[in-house]
Amino acid sequence: MVRKKNHARVIFHIDMNCFYASVEIAANPKLKGKPLAIAGDPRERKGIIVTSSYEARAKGIKTTMPLWQARKLCPELIVLKPDFDKYRAASRKIFTMLSQVTPRIQPVSIDEGYMDVTEVAAEHDPIAIAVNLQKDIFKQLQLPSSIGIAPNKFLAKMASDMKKPLGITILRKRDIPQKLWPMPIGDMHGVGVKTAEKLDKIGVQTIGDLAHADIYQLKRLLGINGERLRNRANGIDNNPVDPDAVNEFKSIGSSQTLPEDTVDPREIQKWLSILAENVERRLKRKQAAGKTIQLMLRYHDRKTITRSKKLPDYIDQKEDMIQITNDLLQKHWDGEPIRLIGITVQDAEEKKSILKQLDLFSYEKEETKAKLDHTIQALNQKYGKDVIRKSDGIHKGDTDLRTSFQKDVLMDYQKSDD
Amino acid sequence: MKFTIQQSTLMSSVQDVMKAISSRTATPILTGMKIEAKENGIVLTGSDSDISIESYIPAESDDNVNVENIEPGSIVLHARYFPEIIRKLPENNVEFEADENFRVTIRSGKAEFNLNGQNAEEYPQLPIVHTDNSFEMPIALLKQMIKQTSFAVSAMETRPILTGVNISLKDNILNFTATDSHRLASKEIPVEADGLAFSNVVIPGKSINELNKTLDDSEDTVEIYVTNNQILFKTRHLNFLSRLLDGNYPETSRLIPNQVKTVIYAKTKDLISTIDRASLLAREERNNVVKLSTSGQQTLEISSNSPEIGNVTEELTVTAIEGEELKISFSSKYVLDALKAIDVEDVKIDFTGAMRPFIIRPTNEEKILQLILPVRTY
Repeated sequence: MVRKKNHARVIFHIDMNCFYASVEIAANPKLKGKPLAIAGDPRERKGIIVTSSYEARAKGIKTTMPLWQARKLCPELIVLKPDFDKYRAASRKIFTMLSQVTPRIQPVSIDEGYMDVTEVAAEHDPIAIAVNLQKDIFKQLQLPSSIGIAPNKFLAKMASDMKKPLGITILRKRDIPQKLWPMPIGDMHGVGVKTAEKLDKIGVQTIGDLAHADIYQLKRLLGINGERLRNRANGIDNNPVDPDAVNEFKSIGSSQTLPEDTVDPREIQKWLSILAENVERRLKRKQAAGKTIQLMLRYHDRKTITRSKKLPDYIDQKEDMIQITNDLLQKHWDGEPIRLIGITVQDAEEKKSILKQLDLFSYEKEETKAKLDHTIQALNQKYGKDVIRKSDGIHKGDTDLRTSFQKDVLMDYQKSDD
Repeated sequence: MKFTIQQSTLMSSVQDVMKAISSRTATPILTGMKIEAKENGIVLTGSDSDISIESYIPAESDDNVNVENIEPGSIVLHARYFPEIIRKLPENNVEFEADENFRVTIRSGKAEFNLNGQNAEEYPQLPIVHTDNSFEMPIALLKQMIKQTSFAVSAMETRPILTGVNISLKDNILNFTATDSHRLASKEIPVEADGLAFSNVVIPGKSINELNKTLDDSEDTVEIYVTNNQILFKTRHLNFLSRLLDGNYPETSRLIPNQVKTVIYAKTKDLISTIDRASLLAREERNNVVKLSTSGQQTLEISSNSPEIGNVTEELTVTAIEGEELKISFSSKYVLDALKAIDVEDVKIDFTGAMRPFIIRPTNEEKILQLILPVRTY
């Protein structure tokens, strides 16, 4: 590659519009044009909206809104339970189509990703590439998307958000003062509620304010991230599109808002066990194990605590997670009603890069386990993936939550690639 | 109290006793050193309540006069100042004197130190070991047993009993065993113990290492007294008393496998240098892992790979390989520790499978055994 270092890059950010709802509509055209929501569990009074169609959004329905509230706003709302297998399959098809344009793709979630089309753009008009890609995805999969075109990832991400659905937005560096700077700071990618609050205190209300804010003041306020955000506000972002970024997972978790706030230990135990099961399944899917366990509790007043424990060994079994999170719970729960529980396994690594020093007092157990793993692997190799798994009594998918689930999919896409 | 002594004689005793004194102790007076003058000599005492050391300087030995002008009495001096003062005295002759107000005067040459001491009656009485359960062995042999086993004690407090060396005596065979659960070191020697037997005597790792440092390389013997919570090592001029660890030491002998799948005979020195080279690219946070695989009847391949650093492979010709082919990963540190501790020219390694312990022994079957658990790679 003989390319000048300063040569401008051409980056796409592609974002699927109302992805879960769109996949449902594509699968069942009767839903088209109707207000549709995907919610955690419609039977639960406090199920939460995961996503909704534009028709539903027009009625004021928003992601994370409790279902009962959504029903009040829109009594004719059609509510579906999430079907993650279906979404995963659709996502895989999308990323396969993207990979036909360029191999330089960095998926960031089940329904969005970056593409570095610099080399392709040397021969083809990037706008034409984007238009064709968007059309192809819509024609073949009936799924709407928005594409942002820019010289870096940050601007591409901001651009894809500017016009939905089926938008294509070009954001050049010279467009920044007119298009980016007037936007409220909370709409900037990478600025969360907390950061926005902090910035507000030093009088930063728009992206433009941030672009011109004092760099030392920002560093004091936000640390190294302050400088990075300011650079981005000025349109500077040198992060490459990294096809391997998705492999660098460090934590895998699952959390759940409870149907009702509870102080009932049995209820809490039940959820710990369900969440541990979810985390175990994700770890197994990724062939990973982790060395730190974190318990998250959100109380009825939204006060949230996280407490974690570092372990001497890598774990991937739900029994271990239940035991450790239970210890953490006993130690740190102040007895207030709990609204949300989360379990996260941190310091996660792929098993193939994990080494385990065997122990004199337990090596025989480990040996039996290894033999079983080996047999399962051999059978799966012979008869196809997932023919056999260790029996763990999982009800597939129904307690999965969005964010962690998305990460899993990205691994899937890469596997399907080879 | 009063005595006159040679600085060098006093200093070597002070150094021994200092090994038991800790500046962090729950009993403040234990930060001091007890000095006791008796008609026939001087006794220095230090203790951190786990270990207590008494050093005895006889007034006369082998026609030498060590201590003169003795007026009996005792005092406690702070261990932070006393040893440094003795070390730096200008002349070899030291006059030591304490009055009834616990004020101490140390004179040497033209230097005179006045120190405030403490009442020796406040110093805790060391437990007196009342037992006839004792046996004798050469100091050199005891030191060797310690060196060959104590490195394998656990540094983790998760299983406190494993932080000690387990000592047992049966049928006039003395056994030392230490394990941190990842490796195990065991050594046996015959002693003349008159049929004395005990088991589950676990000496804290720290005590046994201090003992090893305190005992001189000499041809003398040490008398060992065992009770159910104390052990006393007694030499001519030294009493070394240690508390024992509470709890049951796991029965390790049944954990040592006896069926063998692969046997390697090799020169210890060759193994050490090859594994040491391979470990240059093994990272500590990844257990210093090195891989070993056999190839044919006489060749080992030893390798290590750290993706972000690089990799190394080395072939080593060994004396012989018998049995099944083998691929195994292990901590290079554990194997090097074991090979160095064995300290013989030729070793025999019995492998029992890639996920099972392997055992390193001298080829000529001395009663020493180094067992190591491999590292599982998924």
